[in-house]
Amino acid sequence: MSKEQLEIGAISKPRFEFRTFGKEFDEAAFLMSRLSVPVPEKVWERYSEEIYIVSKTNDINNTKIRDGKMDIKTFIQSVDGLEQWNPLMKGEFPMKAEILVKEVFPAFMVEMPELTKEVYTLEEFLEIINNHRDLQAVRVEKERYGYMVNDTICEYANVWINGALVESVNSESTEVEDIKKTITDLKLENVENINYLQAIKRVIGMNNKKLAN
Amino acid sequence: MAQESNPRFEFRIFGINLEKLTETLDKLTPRLQTRKMNSIYLLTAGNTKNNIKIRDGIMDIKVLEQETEGLEQWNPFLVGEFPLKSDVIKTVVFPALGIVCPVMERDQYTLDQFLKEIISIDPDLSVAFVKKVRHGYMLNNCITEIAEVLVNGALINTLCIESEDPKQVLAAKKMLGIRSDTENVNYPLALKRIMGLASLSKNYWESND
Repeated sequence: MSKEQLEIGAISKPRFEFRTFGKEFDEAAFLMSRLSVPVPEKVWERYSEEIYIVSKTNDINNTKIRDGKMDIKTFIQSVDGLEQWNPLMKGEFPMKAEILVKEVFPAFMVEMPELTKEVYTLEEFLEIINNHRDLQAVRVEKERYGYMVNDTICEYANVWINGALVESVNSESTEVEDIKKTITDLKLENVENINYLQAIKRVIGMNNKKLAN
Repeated sequence: MAQESNPRFEFRIFGINLEKLTETLDKLTPRLQTRKMNSIYLLTAGNTKNNIKIRDGIMDIKVLEQETEGLEQWNPFLVGEFPLKSDVIKTVVFPALGIVCPVMERDQYTLDQFLKEIISIDPDLSVAFVKKVRHGYMLNNCITEIAEVLVNGALINTLCIESEDPKQVLAAKKMLGIRSDTENVNYPLALKRIMGLASLSKNYWESND
């Protein structure tokens, strides 16, 4: 069976991902830029502002809000240290309380707060989050540089978590072996795979583990 | 041994891009020293008056004495060196944190025991592991520094001007071209903002453009 040709920005079957965070990945970023095939101009450099909702009791659902749209991904499996995440839910603000009750808060795996309105704006939703003992809304800005190495979608990124800067590199593909080759080529062997949720939790002190460097 | 001094007035800012300020400072006065140090800060959402930190196994607390003309006067006092007696933890540390002290089973705690058995299990307490590279200057008779700060591994930069004389701090601030309405952000507030214990400033997105 031939492997799926990945296209940056296109919808594909669930990908496996290696990602890590730390203070410095200059060598990996340099190698990524040199080993990459040409990529579409639209992914050369991208900037986005997002809000992640992190929960003390949940490590398997990743909730992100960008431009008023909510996107929840759920962890499916880990193969050879690579993680596969699937879309769980997509929604937009203003959001019905029913959706918050049935789909959003269950993903946080926390005690359900009392919802008194039928529909919630983003600001009202964030107020609920801020008042919840086990939840935090975290501001994240990303400056992402896209590449394609060994048929895997790669990026080097500067990421500001509540205003503090970390660097991130990643490789993702439907093909595990292609990612493993890319990890070797980028000299990232033995570097811990850290997803966004974990990196954010470590920076905000919800988890005392360190980043990769 | 550090020389005894009166409580100093302090102006501090945090941000990612302090390059222009650093350039200006470098033009005005020579860099005197660079020091690296690791600190552990203890934080609670409600405490805004005490800056509680551990460095080299020694805990000290700075107490906010007063605010005047946008400057903060902090008065430091030494809590003690680990192992720290339970009595000190109960009567000094937790009152400064502003939360109820848990039941303690030991007479004294090593730093490791303190962090693992008391701090990490308390849902009202957060810990920031902070690495600093501090570049020291003297500007207008003020102790001035630019520092790169890793907060739980994430980078932020800071500039600080401090002196016993608030007028000298205000003058130094002017020399660096810092606007008079620039927010004075102390270490605990900056750490709490990064860690989600305090709201980000209202113009957060704009200020990071």
